[in-house]
Amino acid sequence: MKKYVSLLMAGALAVSMLGGCGSAFDDGSASTTAAGEAGGTQAQAGTGAAGESSGAPGSSGGAAAAGGNVIHIPEHDEFPTVDCQKDTEFYVVPLNIYDRLVECEVVDGVATIVPSLAESWDISDDGLVYTFHLRDDVTFHNGAGFTADDVVYTVERMMNPATAALNTDFFSMIKGAADMLEGQADGVEGVKALDDYTVEITLDVPFAPFLANLATPSCSIYNRAATEAAGDQFGIDPAVTVGTGPFMITDWVLNDRITLARYDDYFKGPANIDGIELIQVPDENTQKLMYENGELDVVDLSSSTSQLAYFMGNDAYKDNLVTGPEAGNYFYAFNLDMAPTDDVRVRKAISMAIDRQTILDQMYSGAGHVVNSMLPDGVLGSYEAEEIPYDPEGAKALLAEAGYGDGCDLELYQKTNDPDALAINQVVQSMLSQVGINVTIKQMDEAAYLSERREGKLGMTRAVWWADFNDPDNFLYTFFTEKNTKARSINHKNTDVYQWLEDGRAMVDEDERMELYKKIDTTMVQEEAAVFPLFQMDHVVVVQDWVKGFRIPWNGWTDTSYYKVSIER
Amino acid sequence: MLKYIAKRVLVTVPVLIGVVFLIFVMLSVVPGDPLTVMMGEKVKVDVIERLSETMHLNDPWYTRFVWYLWDALHGDFGTSYKLMRSVSSLIANAFPKTLTLAVSAAVLSWIVGIPAGIISAVKKNSLVDHLFMGFALCGVSIPAFSVGMLLQNIFNGILPVSGFASPLHLILPAMVLGWNAAGTIARLTRSSLLEVLEDDYIRTARAKGLAPLPVILGHAMKNSLLPVITMMAIQISTLLSGAVITETLFSIPGIGRLTVDAINGRDMPLLQGTVVFTTAVIIAGNLVADILYSVVDPRIRVEGGK
Amino acid sequence: MATFEQAASLAARLAVDSVKEQFSPQERLEAVQKIEEEELQYMPMPDTMRTKLLGMCRENKVAAASAVVLAVMALAIIFADKLTVYDPNVINLVERLQPPSKAHWCGTDDLGRDIFTRILYGGRVSLLVGVIPTSISMAIGIVLGMVSGYIRRLDAVIMRLADIVLAFPSIVLAMVVMYTLGATTSNIFIALSMIGWAGTARIVRSQTLSLREQEFVEAARGMGVKKWTIMFRHILPNCLPSLIVLFTLNIPDAILSEANLSFLGVGTQPPDSSWGLMVSQSRTFAASSPWMLIFPSLAILIMVLALNFLGDGLRDAVDPHMKK
Repeated sequence: MKKYVSLLMAGALAVSMLGGCGSAFDDGSASTTAAGEAGGTQAQAGTGAAGESSGAPGSSGGAAAAGGNVIHIPEHDEFPTVDCQKDTEFYVVPLNIYDRLVECEVVDGVATIVPSLAESWDISDDGLVYTFHLRDDVTFHNGAGFTADDVVYTVERMMNPATAALNTDFFSMIKGAADMLEGQADGVEGVKALDDYTVEITLDVPFAPFLANLATPSCSIYNRAATEAAGDQFGIDPAVTVGTGPFMITDWVLNDRITLARYDDYFKGPANIDGIELIQVPDENTQKLMYENGELDVVDLSSSTSQLAYFMGNDAYKDNLVTGPEAGNYFYAFNLDMAPTDDVRVRKAISMAIDRQTILDQMYSGAGHVVNSMLPDGVLGSYEAEEIPYDPEGAKALLAEAGYGDGCDLELYQKTNDPDALAINQVVQSMLSQVGINVTIKQMDEAAYLSERREGKLGMTRAVWWADFNDPDNFLYTFFTEKNTKARSINHKNTDVYQWLEDGRAMVDEDERMELYKKIDTTMVQEEAAVFPLFQMDHVVVVQDWVKGFRIPWNGWTDTSYYKVSIER
Repeated sequence: MLKYIAKRVLVTVPVLIGVVFLIFVMLSVVPGDPLTVMMGEKVKVDVIERLSETMHLNDPWYTRFVWYLWDALHGDFGTSYKLMRSVSSLIANAFPKTLTLAVSAAVLSWIVGIPAGIISAVKKNSLVDHLFMGFALCGVSIPAFSVGMLLQNIFNGILPVSGFASPLHLILPAMVLGWNAAGTIARLTRSSLLEVLEDDYIRTARAKGLAPLPVILGHAMKNSLLPVITMMAIQISTLLSGAVITETLFSIPGIGRLTVDAINGRDMPLLQGTVVFTTAVIIAGNLVADILYSVVDPRIRVEGGK
Repeated sequence: MATFEQAASLAARLAVDSVKEQFSPQERLEAVQKIEEEELQYMPMPDTMRTKLLGMCRENKVAAASAVVLAVMALAIIFADKLTVYDPNVINLVERLQPPSKAHWCGTDDLGRDIFTRILYGGRVSLLVGVIPTSISMAIGIVLGMVSGYIRRLDAVIMRLADIVLAFPSIVLAMVVMYTLGATTSNIFIALSMIGWAGTARIVRSQTLSLREQEFVEAARGMGVKKWTIMFRHILPNCLPSLIVLFTLNIPDAILSEANLSFLGVGTQPPDSSWGLMVSQSRTFAASSPWMLIFPSLAILIMVLALNFLGDGLRDAVDPHMKK
C-alpha cells in the first residue's frame, strides 16, 4: 500500500513537472533580475529573457528591483519558521515584522530600554508588578488594531502546551505561567488587561532583567484573531503571518528566499526602503562573489569569517565596512568532570599555553580584543578583569605540578562543518603540543554534539555566546547554574555560585547586584578557570555604497532591524 | 508481462518496509535528538524534556516504527520536526528541482556521450578514440565536488554559482553531473558497438563484401543502442534519488539536500519520507530497465518471470 | 558495474542476431563455415591468470603505464617521510596561503601547512580505503552470494537484504553508519564495507546458480561432498577471474566514496589529511588560493584514473566475453 502511495506521489509529481518545466525554478529569478511577482511570471514565460536582462544593466549591479529599493541579505541556513515562540535562532524576520512592548537600542553609546508598543510603564516597589501603558495607534498588517488583549494572548499562546513553544523561559517568571504550561490552568494568572490599552503583569518573584527580557525577539506581540485563525500555519504561511512591524512577510520560497515588503501604516512611520530579500547562500565564498556582483547589499563578515581577511585587507572596501562591538564572547569551556581538566592546574596551564593575541591577529585580522571575563564590554556589569597571561613556561611548570610532567592527552570537541571552530582548534592543538599536551580534535555532527554536550559528556569545547538581553544574568545564569553547567558540559560543583545566581535574579539594588555578578565571574573564570575567555570580536559587516544608515545593533547580532536603513543611489 | 510487473512491484513492498525499519533501528542508536538540534546553542533542558514527552520522542523505536507504518498506510507521512511542514509537501517542493537537474544532466550526457562512443568505436584505437575515452574515464574518476568547485571558480561572475532561481543556475551543476554520466554512456556505447562490429559473423560478412560498412553500422547501432537506453533508465533513477554532493555544493534545494538536512537534524519523519521516496524511485528505475530488457529481447526471461 | 557488464553483453547478442537476419541462410552457412575453419586454426591454449596478465601488459600499454603510475604513487605515499622535510600537521600561521614555490611545491593551506606533504600523507587514507573495505565487502559478498545461490532456502532473505542496501541511497547509509559509530578512519572501513557487499553478492549468486547445475558440481554432490566444500573448492575458484576484475573496479569506487564522506565532514578527521578532506577544506579559499583545490583534486584524479585504466585492461584480458 505504502508502495502505491509513494509511486502515486512520484507519478503525480512527474506529471506536474511535465506540465510546466518552469515551475521547478523558484519564482522570480530574483537574484539577477530582482523581482516581485511580475518578475516571476516573466521568467516562466520566456526562459532566455530572464538570463539576458541580468547582464544588461551592469551599472549598479542587479539591484534595481521592480519595487525599487530592496535590500538583499544572504542567509546561511533555512529558517524553520518565523514564529519566534517556536524558534531560538533566526531572528532577522521577527525583528522586522513584529514589535515588542519595549526595545533595546543604543542611546548615547549605552544600550537602553526604550518604549515601543508600550509608551510607558510603572514598576511596583517590590519589583513584582509591571503596568504597561500601550499605544492606541498601532495596527497589525491585517488592519486589526493592537490592544491589551493581544499582549495577554501572546503570553498565553507561549505557555499553552498545545503551542509546543521553545521559548517558554522568557515568560516563565510570570505568576501562574508554570501552571498553564503544565496544563493546570487555562490562562496565565499574572497577565491582565486592565483596559484596552493597559496591561498588568505580575511576577512570581522579582526578576531584575524582566524589561530587558521583554525586548528579545521571542517576546514579539501577536494578534489574537489572526494568529488563532492561522493555527499551525502561523509563521510558515506568509499570507497568515501578521505582526505590527515595519515590514510584512509577503513571499517565502522554502530553501531559497524570503521576501519582506514595507508596511505603509507602521505606527512609527513607513520605513525608508521598499523591502528586504533574504537569500539563502550557505557558502561564504559565494556570498563574496555575489556581493562583488552587486547581487547582495549587506554581507555579515562575522558570520562568514573566512572572507574577513579578504575584505579587511582590501583598500577598495575601506569605506564599505561597518563595525561595532559584539556583546558576546568567544571562549573555551572545560569539563570539570573529565581528566585531565578536572584539575584546576591543568585548566590554568592550558589557558597560559594559548597565545590569544596571535590567533586574533593572524586569523581574524585583529578585529576584536582579548578578554578575561565572561561579561563582554557593552553589557551591564562588565568590568576590568585580571589578565590571564600567555606563559608557556609557566604552563609547563603547572602541568608538572599536577603530575603531567610527561604530557597528557586532551580531547577537544567540535561540530563537523564548522570551519571556523576547526581552524582555531587546530591552532590551539598546535600551541598545546608545545607544552606537551597532546590534543585530539573530535568532530561530531551537530545533533550528536549538542545532545552529548547536553548530557555533560563532552571534553573541552569552543563556544560563543551573544547577549539575548542586556544583563549579566544572560551570560552567567546560562552557563553556571546547576542544570545549565551540566547542559554545557562544564560540570562545575561550586554550590555557592548556584545560590548566588538565584539570588542575583531577585535583587533590587542595582549596585549590589553588579558586585555579586562580578564575584561570580571572577570565581568561575579566575579561580576555578572553568572557562577560558578568548576574545570579544568586532562585528564587521560590508555594505554597498548605496546603503545608508546601517548600524550594528547594541548586541552585535547579525540579525537586526532594517527600519532605519535607506538606499541612495 | 503484466503479471511479471505486478509481481516485481509486490516484491518491493518488503524492501520499502525494510528500508523504513533500517532507518528506525539505525537512528535509534545514533546519538542526538531533533529538539536539541532545533535549540542550537540555547540548550533549555526543561523545555527539551517536556517537549520530548509530548512529541513522543521518548517512546521506544519499535513503537514509533509501528505508528509510522500505520500512519503511512493512511497516506500520512508525518510532519518534519525541523521545518514544521508536512513531509509530502516538502518532497513535492524539492522533487521538481531534482527532476529538472537530473533531466538536464541526463540529456547533456546523451548529447555528448553517445556520439563520442560511436566515433570512438568506429575509429577504434585512433587518437580521437583515446582522447574521447580518456575524457570519459576522467568523468567517472574525478569527484563531483572537485569538478563543481573548479567550475564555480572558473565561471564566477559569468554564470550563477549558487541557488536555483533561473535556468542559468542549472548549467554548472548539470555539467558536473552530466560529465560523470556521459563518461559511463560513452564507454558503454563504444564497447557494445565494438562487440558487434568485431563479431565474427560481421567481420566475415564484411570480408566477403556482403554488405558495406555504413549498412552494417546502421543495423548494429540500432540494436547496440538499446542497452544504452536501459542504462539511461538506471542513470536517471540514480540522478533522481538526489545528487547529495552536487546539490550541497550549488545550494540546490532538492531531494538530496533535504535528505542530508534530515539526517543532520535527526528529523526522523522527513528522513523516512525522503529515503522511502528515493528508494521507490530507484526501484522504479530498475524495473523500467528490466522491462526494457525483456521488451527488447523476448527471449530474455527475467528470473522469476515465468 | 554489474549493470554495465550485463548491458554490454546483451548489446552484443542482440546486435549480432539482428545483423544475422540481414543475410540469406546460404550466406549465413558460409559465414559459419568460415569461422569454424578459422577457429580450428587458432585453437586457444589454456590460459592461466599469469599469462593473461602478461598478455595484457604487452597489448595494453595504457594499463601497463597505469600500473607503473600506481606503483610510483604507492611508494611515494608509503615513504612520505623520506620525501618531504615538513610535518603534515604542524601549523605555521606566518606561512598561510602561500602559492606554489620552490620551498612549497604545491603551496600551503590556510594554516600554513605544506600541501604537497599533506597530499603524500593523505594518500595513506586513500590506499587503505582502496584495499581494506573493498576486501571486506567482497569477502562478505562472496560468502553471502554463494550461500544465496547454493542454499536456496536462504536465497530470498539474503537477496531482499541486498535489494534494500542497493536501493538505499548509499551516501545516506554511509553517513548514518558514520554518525552511529563515530567518525574515525576504521569506521570509514566499516561503513564502506556495509555498502559494498550487495553488488558482489548478486554477481556471485548468479554465477553460483549456473555453476551448481554443471556436471562437475553435480558429480561432487553425487559423491557426497559436503556443501561448504563444494562451494569453496569447486564453485569459488570458477568465479575467481570475474572477482579479480570486480575487485580492481571496486577500489576506485571506494576511494571516491571516502572522498565524498570526507567532503561532507563525516570521513577522515583533522588534523589527519585525506584528499577529499583537503578539497573540502579548500572550499572557502578556492577563489583566492586555487592551489588548495587543484592539487588534492589532481591526486584523486590521477589515482582513480590509473586504477580505472588498470581495471579495464584487466577485464579485457580476463573476461571471456571480451575477445581481442
